[in-house]
Amino acid sequence: MSSESSRSLSSSIFLRGRRRGSNNSGRRRINIWAWIIFLIGILYFFVPLFATFEFSLRMVKDQYSFEAYRVAFEDPRFYTNFGYSIMWAVITIIISSLLVVTTAYWVHWRTPRLRPVVEFITLMPFVVPAVVLTFGLIRMYGSPPIVLIGSPVLLIAGYVILSLPYMYRAVDTGLRSIDVRTLTEAALSLGAGWRTILFQVIFPNLRVAILSGVFLTFAIVMGEFTFASLLSWPAFGPYMEEIGAMRAYTPQALAVVSFLLTWASIGLLQWIGRGAGQEQIAGAH
Amino acid sequence: MSTNDHPLRNLSRRDFLKLSMMTGFSAFLASCGGSATPTEEAGMDYLASGESIPMDVLLSKAQEEGSLTTIALPHDWANYGEIIETYKSKFDMEVNELNPDAGSSDELEAIRANKDSKGPQAPDVIDIGVGHTETAMNDALLAKYKVADWATIPDSAKSPDGYWWAEYYGVLAFEVIADEFSEIPEDWEDLLKPEYKGKVAMAGDVLKSNQSVQTVFASGLSRYGKTPTTVDEAVEAANLGLQFWKEMNDAGNFIPVIADQGKIAQGETPIVMEWDYLALANRDALAGNPALDIRVPKSGVLAGPYAGGISAYGPHPYAARLWWEFVMSDEGQNLYLKGYAHPIRFNDMASRGVIPQEMLDKLPPADAYEAAFFPSVPMLTAVFNEITENWRNVVYGEG
Amino acid sequence: MSVPEIDNRINGGAPLARPSGKRFNWDWVGVAPFFLFALLFLILPSISIFIRSFEAVGGGFTFDNIIALFTEQDIINAYKTSLGISLITAFAGGIFGFFLAYAVILGGLPRLLRVFLVTFSGVASNFAGVPLAFAFIATLGNAGLVTRGLENLFGFDIHQTGFTIYNMWGLSIVYMYFQFPLMVLIMAPALDGLRREWVEACENLGGSNFQYWRYVALPILLPSILGTMVLLFGNAFGAYATAYAFSGSFINLVTILIGAQIQGDVLYNPGLGNALALGMIVIMTISMLGYTILQRRSARWVR
Repeated sequence: MSSESSRSLSSSIFLRGRRRGSNNSGRRRINIWAWIIFLIGILYFFVPLFATFEFSLRMVKDQYSFEAYRVAFEDPRFYTNFGYSIMWAVITIIISSLLVVTTAYWVHWRTPRLRPVVEFITLMPFVVPAVVLTFGLIRMYGSPPIVLIGSPVLLIAGYVILSLPYMYRAVDTGLRSIDVRTLTEAALSLGAGWRTILFQVIFPNLRVAILSGVFLTFAIVMGEFTFASLLSWPAFGPYMEEIGAMRAYTPQALAVVSFLLTWASIGLLQWIGRGAGQEQIAGAH
Repeated sequence: MSTNDHPLRNLSRRDFLKLSMMTGFSAFLASCGGSATPTEEAGMDYLASGESIPMDVLLSKAQEEGSLTTIALPHDWANYGEIIETYKSKFDMEVNELNPDAGSSDELEAIRANKDSKGPQAPDVIDIGVGHTETAMNDALLAKYKVADWATIPDSAKSPDGYWWAEYYGVLAFEVIADEFSEIPEDWEDLLKPEYKGKVAMAGDVLKSNQSVQTVFASGLSRYGKTPTTVDEAVEAANLGLQFWKEMNDAGNFIPVIADQGKIAQGETPIVMEWDYLALANRDALAGNPALDIRVPKSGVLAGPYAGGISAYGPHPYAARLWWEFVMSDEGQNLYLKGYAHPIRFNDMASRGVIPQEMLDKLPPADAYEAAFFPSVPMLTAVFNEITENWRNVVYGEG
Repeated sequence: MSVPEIDNRINGGAPLARPSGKRFNWDWVGVAPFFLFALLFLILPSISIFIRSFEAVGGGFTFDNIIALFTEQDIINAYKTSLGISLITAFAGGIFGFFLAYAVILGGLPRLLRVFLVTFSGVASNFAGVPLAFAFIATLGNAGLVTRGLENLFGFDIHQTGFTIYNMWGLSIVYMYFQFPLMVLIMAPALDGLRREWVEACENLGGSNFQYWRYVALPILLPSILGTMVLLFGNAFGAYATAYAFSGSFINLVTILIGAQIQGDVLYNPGLGNALALGMIVIMTISMLGYTILQRRSARWVR
């Protein structure tokens, strides 16, 4: 079904403006299953979290208390490490989204032949285990000619690489569901320059996709351990590991806290990013 | 380092230490009287000679450097937290701590990766399992240095040229949640009893952690019944250890999970084998919630020393040497003891009466350590290989 | 951009014919930064993996590591287990994840639940390693909440049935924790792209819900579903932190084997570690090819 014919068909239907009754009954049937699936999912996700939380309350013998949380928050290293990770995450997100969105758009629009190549590259970080990649990076950039090992460049590069598959796939899926060529052609024929096309036509339509890629990147960087630990940069992941190895109750408290904090941050991102973008996915008609 | 061709091989470990301590001590006294005061021109030679640098020179040069980079020193491991803080405050130095989680091979890798770097990721000093000293030497990663107290370190616990030396050791002990059991296991064979089904775990992964390999070895030593004197005997003991864990796995007593403080507290791993200093630190940290009973097994008492060294490529050579002068001194060694780890110079210090009695009281009874066996480096290497190559094969019947 | 660009595309979106020499250069400008970045930080280090697979323990060249991949039972078993877990979690994770995404986006559930699930998925997809392992041990382990709860309430000991989280199936259950969310997150935009008009058009033409899915929605979604499943496969195959936190190398996985060789205190053969990684790359490449072929097939139905 070509896009033109589907659009003309749907627009003709739309003009008639009918909404069928069968729609509603169909919806209600789906509803029950949707609820069941949702509840099973919630159960699966929350019981282990609850088990962790329940354990974290047991620091004081024979009673429930928030002692573990108090101790965890008293550690100044919690704040410094969390702060560092947030900083790494923001930088990674900026670089990654600029790189990925422009590249994915370019590939969809101009060089579809390159798509398999680009996709392969974005899947490589999956295939190459972090442990091995880090050692490769350290060996390559630890000594002349290019010495990057003293600066956070290597860490950020590592994070961007790690988040590449997720970011690209999210954006790619988003691009597939909007008609890139038509949008671009229409904008071009109306005389838009490339910057306008990118920032006022493409990006807004990809808002959902980009945001989901951003969430993933944020969560990845916050939880990442291997790169930060092997490259010896302060970050939340190694801090959690260290606490986890040497203590009880506080690591579990930290796990719950970091989960909630990351969730809240993502919720915030989501809230900021919403508005015009959500319902309108394809603005072409 | 092997003891098999030494004329005094039938001496017990302790006697041997005492003997070497006495000879070392007298040699030290002799050398003390005769040394000349070095001049400033010898500055360049200090590092190359590998001999102990006088404290005043060392301190000023180290303070010029201003900072030290350490690696793989968790604060709760053998009281490194306090050792580092004391170094900082006593000598007015800064310490840049890298990657506390690093394993011994990570530390060596960090030296290799930073050979040309001299940046903040290049470690100055390392603390590795004795079994790794061979690799470090082969790859020429260490610089030699003999601290002032060099002579009182037992010969078998150091490299003759001063490239590495043991700093402290512990023995493998049982860490048990006392309230859960009517009977606490006293020895390795006890662990096979049915009441411990699904209750016993190791604190590391056999293929990755020195501690876990030693756990297997120690259980084998217990079954072997006598102290191995040759590499082959050690390997035989190692195989007995593998058999033991096969039986533990078949009986279902062994849980294939890596134990840590959290899992102990949660109750998943009520019996764990760990270095005594870690087990005791856990006991203190949990503060009775739950209460832990730490026991050194009656047989198969295996000592695990850790070796210190200076990176040949470290950016702060004087700070590194200052660190070792401090850590190997009575004060530094006592700080290890405060963290429940036995300093390598324990016998020397005990004989001179410089160990505070309260500290001695907090440790498990001294006779538990008398049977402690210190394997030689060739033994360790052979045992590592034997256990890691055959672990999955023997215990899980794979491959 | 000059107008001639549009002339080229008058055939309505058919794949570009090979552009003439001058314009060919422009095509590379857009992807150049990406390729440069990938080259520096991904491709070159990966090539070094390839090269270092031939490195013997003391230095020097050897084929031993590659040969070991096919001959050592230990390694073969590791690949089997890794593949097993990856396939199970990619498939089951993909299916249930898809249903979850469908439930909140098109299932008529309150809008808030969608936001809830999507944001939660963002965090959960990366909740791995020690905290995840602990969470499941605290739930399904020997002294876990659910284990003890079932025992106290129903007298039913799940471990008597031979269930344990310390094996491939148990670990798969744990892996789902980050597989489901990943599927949800990536399918969300795709499901959003299913326009309401298509459902209505289908119904207007007399089609049932089933027919809508069979002939309209699924063909459109299939490339994304399959693609994401491949992602899930790779994600599971490469997972290290969680499996390790569980049982170290008591469970035999490729990533754990790699870690032991490259990082461990005991084993130390980076050449073998790199060879194992190389094996991983080969497997992923094969699956990637499979995906590309599948995608071309299903892409015939889209545009």
